[in-house]
Amino acid sequence: MSGGSARSLGKGSVPPGPVPEGLIRVYSMRFCPYAQRTRLVLTAKGIRHEVININLKNKPEWFFKKNPSGLVPVLETSQGQLICESAITCEYLDEAYPGKKLLPGDPYEKACQKMVLESFSKVPPLILKILRTQNKEDCSGLKEELHKEITKLEEVLTDKKTTFFGGNSLSMIDYLIWPWFERLEALELNECVDHAPTLKLWMAAMKKDPTVSSLLTDVKTFQGFFNLYLQNNPEAYDYGL
Amino acid sequence: MTDDATRTLGKGSIPPGPVPEGVIRLYSMRFCPYAHRTRLVLRAKGIRHEVININLRNKPEWYFTKHPFGQIPVLENSKCQLIYESVIACEYLDDAYPGRKLYPYDPYERARQKMLLELFYKVPHLTKECLVALRCGRDCGDLKLALRQEFCNLEEILGYQNTVFFGGDCISMIDYLFWPWFERLEVYGIADCVNHTPALRLWIAAMKQDPTVCSLLTDKNTFLGFLNLYFQNNPGAFDYGLSC
Repeated sequence: MSGGSARSLGKGSVPPGPVPEGLIRVYSMRFCPYAQRTRLVLTAKGIRHEVININLKNKPEWFFKKNPSGLVPVLETSQGQLICESAITCEYLDEAYPGKKLLPGDPYEKACQKMVLESFSKVPPLILKILRTQNKEDCSGLKEELHKEITKLEEVLTDKKTTFFGGNSLSMIDYLIWPWFERLEALELNECVDHAPTLKLWMAAMKKDPTVSSLLTDVKTFQGFFNLYLQNNPEAYDYGL
Repeated sequence: MTDDATRTLGKGSIPPGPVPEGVIRLYSMRFCPYAHRTRLVLRAKGIRHEVININLRNKPEWYFTKHPFGQIPVLENSKCQLIYESVIACEYLDDAYPGRKLYPYDPYERARQKMLLELFYKVPHLTKECLVALRCGRDCGDLKLALRQEFCNLEEILGYQNTVFFGGDCISMIDYLFWPWFERLEVYGIADCVNHTPALRLWIAAMKQDPTVCSLLTDKNTFLGFLNLYFQNNPGAFDYGLSC
């Protein structure tokens, strides 16, 4: 068990000790889509790791020494090296650890994955805005914007004529964008992929991936978290434990 | 005279043919800081390349087949592969071409350079806003304060590392990715923003001694000439300083 279900640490908690040799640590939060990227890569590559969940509404003072911005995910190695920013952590893991490479070796194919990530970049902030918007009018405008962004991705995938964004096998780019698609149902945004049949097939294929399915969170748990999160309740982060 | 001293192509221009084997093509603009990053990497690695400058106020219709929004820089190779976003283009060149590696080999050091780039992300926007404000006669005190704060963050990094360059004691990718905006501080009228950051000033001086940086330096008067025309919305701005 990767320990991803441990209670979060908050203010006043004892700082964790150094990371044991042979392990890498990820500071995370069970419902954070960015941290999920890192957990997907750790799992996909079979990297031995431990997870420390952080209470993001009540951050431990010691956590700012790990990342001055106080954000998750953060990787910490047994040599005390710290890596922040989800995409950077994922690339670091792919480079530093042996086994199946998630990023292509071909420089152009690798660049293509980064260009796709760039064209995906408007989706996470949009989805966060939608989650936080109570007003129906504002919401419908945002949903339209999301629909446009999703259409862009649909076009990318259709043009490629492959199942996944990096080709016929699952690779880094699929893991990097997956967390937000996993949350669509819980956010009642399934309509945004209604006109994206290729993307729908991709989502179905993703759900069959052993790594993705081992880290899947069910709709009810997400919704429980979202409700408490929107109420600014610090208990949100341990919902379901 | 740099190798990109050619007139821009605009609307109605004939689309260029395929890229010859053994060469990579860069769609660029002589004064664009983002494209400047890519030109620095091409030069630093000694990569054979050709430059096609694009008139950004009068973009050729064919250019939208190279980039969906007509932005620069874009790389095109002889296999018709297109790579865009300046940072992605720079990394592609480092990966695809032999010789001197600009990114470190060590995965942690590579990650550090990428994290440093994140620290820099407000600088391009702030320098541009300062430029526009000054050119429009508006006060930019707040903007300069914000920019100074960003420079303080970078100063702290240099202090903590105790190295001349951002990647260590030799120049590397991260330095080239930062450089274009620092080269423009003087002509933008905001050179005083590094008054309280001595390590950054030393870095600037060291950068100016780098042969690659040196070979692509644009002289102040040419830059000012471009800026004057640019702010008058003159499409001739992009060819300022070219003979004939």
